[in-house]
Amino acid sequence: MSEKILYGCTALFDSPDSVINAAAKVAEEGYVKYDVHTPYPLHGMDKAMKLKPSKLGYIALIFGLSGASAAMLTLWWMSAVDYPLVIGGKPFFPYPAYIPVVFEITVLSASIATVLSMLFFFFKFPNNIHPLHGTRYMKKVSADKYGILIQADDPKFDESLVKAFFENTGAAEVDLVYWDDEEISHNNSILEPKFLIFLLAAAVITSGATYVSFNKLLYIIPFNWMSEQPKLSAQQASPVFKDGFGMRQPVAGTVARGFLPYQFTGQPDLAGEKLTNSIPVSKRSLEAGRVNFDIYCSPCHGFYGDGASRLHGQFPNPPSLHSEKIRNWTDGRIFAVITEGQNVMPSYATQLSTEERWEVISYIRALQRALNAKESDLK
Amino acid sequence: MSFSTIEYRKKPLPAKVGIAGFCLLALGLILILLSYLTDSDRSAYNNIIGLSFLISLGVGALFFVALEYVAGAVWSTPFRRAAEFISSTIIFLPVLFIPLLLNLNRVFSWTHPLPADKSLIGKAPYLNTNFFIIRVIAFWLIWLIFYHFLTRNSKKQDESSDQQLTQKNIKLSAAFMPIFAVTITFSAIDWLMSIEPHWFSTIFGVYYFSGTVLASLAACTILIVLLNENGYLVNGLKPDHYYSLGALLFAFINFWAYIAFSQFLLIWYANLPEETVWFLTRWYGSWKLISIGLIFVHFIIPYFGLLSQPSKMNSKRLLIMGGWILFSHYYDLYWLVMPNYSKEGVLFGWPELGFPLFISGIIVLVIYYKTKRENLVPIGDPKLRRGIDFRL
Amino acid sequence: MGTADYSQEIQVIEGKPALRELDDLISKPLESKPDKKFYIALSITGSMLGLLVVGLGLTFYYGIGMWGNNIPVGWAFDITNFVFWVGIGHAGTLISAILFLLRQKWRTGIARFAEGMTIFAVMTAGLFPLIHVGRPWLAAYLFPYPNQHSLWVNFTSPLLWDVFAVSTYLTVSLIFWYVGLIPDLATLREKTGNKIKKVIYSVSSLGWRFSNRHWQHYEMVYLILAGFATPLVLSVHTIVSFDFAVSIVPGWHTTIFPPYFVAGAVFSGFAMVQNILIIIRKIFNYEHIITLNTLEKMNKVMLLTGSMVGYAYAMEFFISWYGGVEVERFAFLNRALGPYAWAYWTMISCNVISPQLFWFRKIRRTIPVMFVIAIFVNIGMWFERFVIIVTSLSRDYLPSSWHIFVPTYTDFMILIGSFGFFFTWLLLFTKALPVVSLAEVKAAVDGAQPTQKDH
Repeated sequence: MSEKILYGCTALFDSPDSVINAAAKVAEEGYVKYDVHTPYPLHGMDKAMKLKPSKLGYIALIFGLSGASAAMLTLWWMSAVDYPLVIGGKPFFPYPAYIPVVFEITVLSASIATVLSMLFFFFKFPNNIHPLHGTRYMKKVSADKYGILIQADDPKFDESLVKAFFENTGAAEVDLVYWDDEEISHNNSILEPKFLIFLLAAAVITSGATYVSFNKLLYIIPFNWMSEQPKLSAQQASPVFKDGFGMRQPVAGTVARGFLPYQFTGQPDLAGEKLTNSIPVSKRSLEAGRVNFDIYCSPCHGFYGDGASRLHGQFPNPPSLHSEKIRNWTDGRIFAVITEGQNVMPSYATQLSTEERWEVISYIRALQRALNAKESDLK
Repeated sequence: MSFSTIEYRKKPLPAKVGIAGFCLLALGLILILLSYLTDSDRSAYNNIIGLSFLISLGVGALFFVALEYVAGAVWSTPFRRAAEFISSTIIFLPVLFIPLLLNLNRVFSWTHPLPADKSLIGKAPYLNTNFFIIRVIAFWLIWLIFYHFLTRNSKKQDESSDQQLTQKNIKLSAAFMPIFAVTITFSAIDWLMSIEPHWFSTIFGVYYFSGTVLASLAACTILIVLLNENGYLVNGLKPDHYYSLGALLFAFINFWAYIAFSQFLLIWYANLPEETVWFLTRWYGSWKLISIGLIFVHFIIPYFGLLSQPSKMNSKRLLIMGGWILFSHYYDLYWLVMPNYSKEGVLFGWPELGFPLFISGIIVLVIYYKTKRENLVPIGDPKLRRGIDFRL
Repeated sequence: MGTADYSQEIQVIEGKPALRELDDLISKPLESKPDKKFYIALSITGSMLGLLVVGLGLTFYYGIGMWGNNIPVGWAFDITNFVFWVGIGHAGTLISAILFLLRQKWRTGIARFAEGMTIFAVMTAGLFPLIHVGRPWLAAYLFPYPNQHSLWVNFTSPLLWDVFAVSTYLTVSLIFWYVGLIPDLATLREKTGNKIKKVIYSVSSLGWRFSNRHWQHYEMVYLILAGFATPLVLSVHTIVSFDFAVSIVPGWHTTIFPPYFVAGAVFSGFAMVQNILIIIRKIFNYEHIITLNTLEKMNKVMLLTGSMVGYAYAMEFFISWYGGVEVERFAFLNRALGPYAWAYWTMISCNVISPQLFWFRKIRRTIPVMFVIAIFVNIGMWFERFVIIVTSLSRDYLPSSWHIFVPTYTDFMILIGSFGFFFTWLLLFTKALPVVSLAEVKAAVDGAQPTQKDH
């Protein structure tokens, strides 16, 4: 049998009175590394052992107050700064409405902080390896007896003296407790490898489970984010129609919104006689016309309508808009060209609405006047 | 059962207490009369504040006496007499309400509703002068009857030590509780809520109750601590008894805040004009400061003042906080009543001091005379020994 | 009948049992195999739980249309059940926390069980906000997590306050319960011979050594937790009441809702606790731990809170007349005389009238009678929530929008199933953990504390 190292000397008592008297005596004798073990807290034991009051109250207060302020601050930031929304006509920071949430968070943070500090700092738990575990002393003291333990590393400890002292105080049983080999090397710190591995495993399992459930499970019907719906999507077959097509033509005679009929198809000169520019010339309409001219007309006719464009040099050259012919055309005649196209020029009816065409025409007129200015224009 | 082991020597309070009481009473009375002659309306409003305050103290103290019996509590038995003495101020309530009953139309607009005001006319079966007067007197008589029998039994027990008297008081107290709830509610509705007769709140009775309990407990605490520190009670009372008083005060501070906040939040949130008008009156002009001040005076300051364990056991702290809480209850009642009189802003001057002084005088004198005649400790009470031995 | 002797303290634990006896008695259900009665009970609750699973499955697959909810009655059985179960949970915290703060020793025999009941009731209650949203798998949206939509939750909504309140309540109750369990788990650790159980108890007791240096901090934490749990429990049911009271629905918007709901919660909770405890004390032979005096005190609490609820009914009714608002006046007349009058009068007779029988000492101390009264109270309190929610919603401002609510089979399945859920957990709890707190009961036995010297 290897040499066992003494942890301490224990004494068991039968009644609350005897143990509290004995504890007071132990404290008076000057022992510091000792403890009392009872199956339930005894009133007055703290005083007998001359213990200082617990500081856990301060932890509750500090964490409660910080929880409250953090909550209020976060709520303020979310609702008044990051994404302010007017809800129910209330101001962006309706603090009476925030009191319930702040209160809950206060209680939550204070409670969790207090309990965790009690467990990890004050008790240094979890501590499943301790010389007292599994001893007859612990068995008794967890059930119906009261005990005192004086540790061997107390400066005043002397085995025979302590035993005699306990006998004097009326202990029912006096015993010695030894360290187990594993307990000696046991260093109960939070950085212990077993605990860290446990934390790591927990983290991996939690994130794995979260990933699987959010990315895989949650796509099973009916949890599939409404990605499969009974409505008819494009390209789908439909059992309703005889030909099986889901996509249908619009009903005959359907007209697009804002549609105005063009009666002069194939008759550009008639259009030139009948149509007049309906948009009044103004700074706004000229500017709008300029924008659209630059987008749609300039690639062929150039930015000044003179034909000096990227396409110049390719046959057939886009004509200049400043020729006599075009300057003598009416607005309506130009409208017909834009609407139907002519020769190589395609119809721009789909790119420009009727208003936009008139605006472009006004702009063309302005350009024409600019490049053919007369003396009278300077006035 | 002999109780000779309990050390109690009955001694009267020093004469200067009586003199102080008379001075307060006289000064208060002078101020009241002066203010009535100069501005009767304002005086009537102050009268209501004073009356509500005294009802809080007197009937609230009686509530505590009854509560001890009904709950079977022992820790408060050694000083139950303090609550009984304060509850005898119920006898003097008519001094405050009779002048009001003769001046109802100065304060209450429902005494003379405009014919177009369908809402007020609809309330007339309840809010009319005759029924009002009947209610006031009936409530007072009910309180008086319970006060009389409860304290009479308690006093009798000093001589006879008869346990049957405790049993009788328990039954009386049990009956008193629901009656107290109803009478205090309607008293609050009558005197305080109907000042603004178009407004209503179902929690108003509970609100007044929370302030009542707090104020009467504070008054009892001050009295108990003063008496105990100066040796007028039994030997053997420990910090544990003070702690219980402090803890109850702390609990009811929170309770008041809870009720006040509930009332405010619900009305603020729904934003219905017929309800918000009451709070808006108290947010107008300088009343805003008083409203914000109420939160600090009635909740934040006493909360932190009584939060720690040692503070609840400290006699000095209990005295200061007790006094502060009494002040905060008066502040609360002032905030409930005055904005309806002075809509433009806060109104505080010498007229407002008349009633607090007068009431303090009544309380001091009542306690002075009661201490002369009766035991400050219920020496015949079977729970007394357990009460003195009480430990947390 | 003679007068009681008020100079003597009534012992909380009768008979002055030896501490070892208490250990053996309370840990007996944990050490013995479940008997036939247990399996019968479990099969009953299990089949009720099965009903819940079926009901929930139908609801998830087909949607809320399986319920009877309609426009305007958007809330019906779902929220009634939610408030009902949250209310029941409150009795547990009241017993363990509030009675602790009031130093009422009679709580020791019942505190552990009541706290367990709280946790299971809150779990049951938590089901309902989850399932009534229609797509419960998106419940994470309720929490303010940073997301790519840049959206935050609506903190001004009482429904969100509920999320925080109920989750905080569940968490803190669990913590409180667990902290209370640590010494008992340590006792069981030392007592047990079974290897597997020893490992489980060792891990869960965290190495508790019964050291007084630890007891000192432990008692402080217990006090702090009790001190926090008290306002917490008040706040939770207050916030639940805010769900209704912040609205402008007639019959819902009254300022007395918060304390009225809290009183009602304590009321229904105590009724449920009393019912279950009567059964437990008989089955486990705890009659000297959960004494008749304890039951009587619980009945007194029921009388008190029942009267508070009655007061609130009266105040609502009076002020609805006093206020003169026509919709409010109608709402209350409609409750008493309208299509749901049968529910209203059930509520009144069960909640206001039946607990008044507890004024009589004989009734307070007769077990079969108090058991029946408590059952009535439970029924009445469920109907109270039903009346509040459904009558006010089915007939509010615009008569053309009025509509009756009729429950469906799925509604009933979920209602019955929720009881199955709750009772199954409770049954398993009685076999897994000590139903009475060993350490607290031992501390309350006559002679357990040192005799007082002046200190």
